[in-house]
Amino acid sequence: MSDLSLLVQMGLGALLALSVYLPLRCGQLSLATPGFYAIGGYVAALLSTRWPALAAAGAGGLYPLPALLLEMVLAVGLAVGLALLIGRPVLKLRGIYLAIATIALVEILRVVNLNAGWSGGAVGIFAIPQPFDGPGGYLVCTALLLALCCWFCARLEQTRLGRAMAAIREDELATRCMGVPTAQVALSAFVLSAAIAALTGVVAAHFLNTWNARQGGFDASITTLAFVVFGGSRTWLGPVLGGLVLTALPELLRPVGDLRLIVFGLVILVGPILAPQGLITPERLAALARAFPARAAGGNGVRR
Amino acid sequence: MQFRLRPLPRLLLGLSGLTLALAGCASTGSDKPLDLSQGVPVGAVLALTSNANVYGQDQQLGMQLAERWFKGKVMPIRLRIEDGGGDEQAASQAFNLLIDAGVVALIGPTLSQQAFAADPIAQRRGVPVVAPSNTAEGIPQIGSFISRVSASSAVIAPLSIKAALKRDPSIRRAAVFFAQDDAYSSSEAAIFQSALAAKGLKPVTVQRTQLNDQDFQNQITAALRLKPDLIVISAQAVDGGNLIRQLRELGYKGSIVVGNGMNTPNIYPICQAYCDGILIAQAYSPELDSAINKAFVTLYKEATGGAIPPQLSAQAFTAYQVVAEALTRLNRHTPINGRPLIEVRQELMQELLSGRYDTPLGAIAFTPEGEVVQERFHVAEVQMEPGGRSGRFALLE
Amino acid sequence: MSSGVEHLLQVLFNGLASGAVYALFALGYTLVFSVLGVINFAQGALFTLGAYFTYLLIGGAVGSNGALAGFQLPLALPFWLALLLAGAGAAGMGLLVEATAFAPLRQRRAEPLLFLISSLGAGVVIVNGVQLLMGAESYSIPAGSLGRLPAAVLIGGAQVRTVQLLLMAVAAVVLVVLTLWLEGSRLGKALQAVSEDPVTARLLGIDAGAMIRLAFALSGFLAGVAGGLVALSVSIAGPYFGIGFGLKGLGVLVLGGLGSVPGAMLGGLVVGLAEALVPAEFSGYKDGVAYGFLFLVLLLRPRGLLGKATVSKV
Repeated sequence: MSDLSLLVQMGLGALLALSVYLPLRCGQLSLATPGFYAIGGYVAALLSTRWPALAAAGAGGLYPLPALLLEMVLAVGLAVGLALLIGRPVLKLRGIYLAIATIALVEILRVVNLNAGWSGGAVGIFAIPQPFDGPGGYLVCTALLLALCCWFCARLEQTRLGRAMAAIREDELATRCMGVPTAQVALSAFVLSAAIAALTGVVAAHFLNTWNARQGGFDASITTLAFVVFGGSRTWLGPVLGGLVLTALPELLRPVGDLRLIVFGLVILVGPILAPQGLITPERLAALARAFPARAAGGNGVRR
Repeated sequence: MQFRLRPLPRLLLGLSGLTLALAGCASTGSDKPLDLSQGVPVGAVLALTSNANVYGQDQQLGMQLAERWFKGKVMPIRLRIEDGGGDEQAASQAFNLLIDAGVVALIGPTLSQQAFAADPIAQRRGVPVVAPSNTAEGIPQIGSFISRVSASSAVIAPLSIKAALKRDPSIRRAAVFFAQDDAYSSSEAAIFQSALAAKGLKPVTVQRTQLNDQDFQNQITAALRLKPDLIVISAQAVDGGNLIRQLRELGYKGSIVVGNGMNTPNIYPICQAYCDGILIAQAYSPELDSAINKAFVTLYKEATGGAIPPQLSAQAFTAYQVVAEALTRLNRHTPINGRPLIEVRQELMQELLSGRYDTPLGAIAFTPEGEVVQERFHVAEVQMEPGGRSGRFALLE
Repeated sequence: MSSGVEHLLQVLFNGLASGAVYALFALGYTLVFSVLGVINFAQGALFTLGAYFTYLLIGGAVGSNGALAGFQLPLALPFWLALLLAGAGAAGMGLLVEATAFAPLRQRRAEPLLFLISSLGAGVVIVNGVQLLMGAESYSIPAGSLGRLPAAVLIGGAQVRTVQLLLMAVAAVVLVVLTLWLEGSRLGKALQAVSEDPVTARLLGIDAGAMIRLAFALSGFLAGVAGGLVALSVSIAGPYFGIGFGLKGLGVLVLGGLGSVPGAMLGGLVVGLAEALVPAEFSGYKDGVAYGFLFLVLLLRPRGLLGKATVSKV
């Protein structure tokens, strides 16, 4: 079962990586993901612990799934609203300035959560009801969410919006000259990123049994960024792989004992040097497709 | 881009299928018979990395000393210590790992916040947990398999306030400082405040600090303007030690009462000579006059080259002792070898809660809920040696 | 003196005291940023190293938990000398970080984002290495290390700890020396030339690689000295000691304007003062105020207070 719950954590890591990836794909280094993740978690924790009607509907013992869906909808709604509100002014910033402004937002949110009465302060909210009776259910739920987000990102890369995003990353000025509403495109990426993070937070809060102000801080910002850079930031498969691998790594390194975080650090240090574009690049995918033409043809066969 | 991700729907379908298959075949492993060939498997989850390691390393030493001390005195135990890091995810993962490995009981995790994440997992899977250091409200209430040897701050904190007022009945103006991002300190601070209120003292100011803060000049000068004659601090060793040092350096002369989080000799190097005279409520006193405590102190001094054991080590020692003695008693009346793991875990929990233990903390027992019932707590005054390099917690009577 | 003025003076000193630390920290980032246009995330770890080096050089013994348990250098240097040597040690480590995490990426002309991650990795390795060797316990530098100075002094009714006055003085000296050196000396100008335009600088015969190493060494030295001084002021809280400063320092750096030495100083003082002005009843929101201020400044002045309107790379 430890393997199953590790898989869940890996899936959650991959989801967060996708959330950082979306703005980065259009050249925005936004690190607000942990903030929206925290919001999602608090929505789930508060609704499921302080609103007895929700839990009571599942009198059979488990927390009812419709209530979980309701939390997801509310969390996404809240995150999207906030992202729309702050997105416009914030996205005028570029590069490291945007990164720092979003980190500042995450920190402000953390301080508010720590001081606000409803959040339970440093102890946080605990005894969060369980919608599934074991990690298996969470795994299915996380895998479905991840599959959905992957499918969405893969589709996005084929659409006008997706191509506009990639174009902005290459050359924002030229893209704007081509008549693409760049501010609009960047904002859509930011909002989508917020929605994915909030969804992840909802699942994570139930999975963790507890939620507090330590969830989603500066460390989380940087680790998630490492997922994306490590995996590759030019196609959705990169962050997913980065998230899966780097979440699992500290656990897989348990046998080396005291050295495990040193090895982890070395991997992060060496990763960008050995693979500056990340593990997965469109070029490598293309080479793979050439190496296994049968599979690609099979794919086309399915398409008919 | 030539390559188009058409196989994607198939990939996703495959992924979901695989997931379902994995989820379906999740084996619980708890109906396996217990294998005692290398001793009874017991797991411990301690913070050996991250900044909670300050606590984890004290606990690890306490456990190792217990292992050495009880060898031959109780039934053979195979202790496996896993790193629970400082976050909820790592602690939960370590719990899962050890439960899968078939341990009969778990000791840990280090932080209360981690306990709120990891303990429900043990509860659902029916594995006894003895918490060596979780002091937040509500830990034993997580479930029937959760117990702790670390007394809640609610019972310890008021004692030192009482002692301070007994010493100086003229105290009128109390100021409270606490680390607001520390679960332990923030709940203890609430208890300190109600203890003060019970004595008719409303704090003239309540200052919030952060665990990682090192410079408290703002909070201190703001508080000192209100001329307090008692300062109550709820913090951990490093930030609390710094707070004391800076309070004294900035000219505060009155009484200082500190919480249980600072009951460790680790404060000596930080506030140095300024530690002198502070009052502290203790769940463990190295000066307790009992055979087992003397043995523990001697072992600790041998292992560290003469250092005095902190509360965290004593509580970790106690947690091991509780598990070891309960197992031995259980095995005496119903031998556990070859029995199904799930049954042994259940019986161990009952045995554990029903016993009485003579530990370095003094005599302890448990309520049916799993809360520790500790015979006595202590109030000590820190007395620093000249030069301020080292000191002792002298018991007050 | 009236108590209102006293209070204001006290707030001013409190702000300057914490601002000086932030500023010293941000200066280290600035040096590397101005030359390479990237952020060195291992800066917090170098700060930590400086503190531990200082502790060891004054003859401090390792506690019982690290791999070096009980180890003690066979010498006990006076604090000042130890501090300078610790700075040198941190500078050496800065060079090592450059050689492992930066130089290989620089040669491949990699994206600036990658430097961030690889230096983060270097930081993780250093912090956990310190933990492995020295344990997680706190260490402190004896209060008497400064000689027979009083613990605090009264200036116009405001109480200030001596060690904080010292930090302010060091920060001021560093600012002046660094500005004079950058503007006035050949080497300083060469460094600036590399940051303005590496290609032209090379044509002028300036060894860009050497200049970059110089920047790393200097910034490591600054981080090391700051770490040693802060350790004297508040003890070493453990291997994660510098990380908290790392985030604040980064905020300060951006607030002041990237790559600007006076900007880093100004940013530090502004954040320190903003925090000091938070009323006691709201002390829980202190960090929120600092970051809120940073956020607002960025919205109004997207390049920070003293930042130049050039295109940044990260």
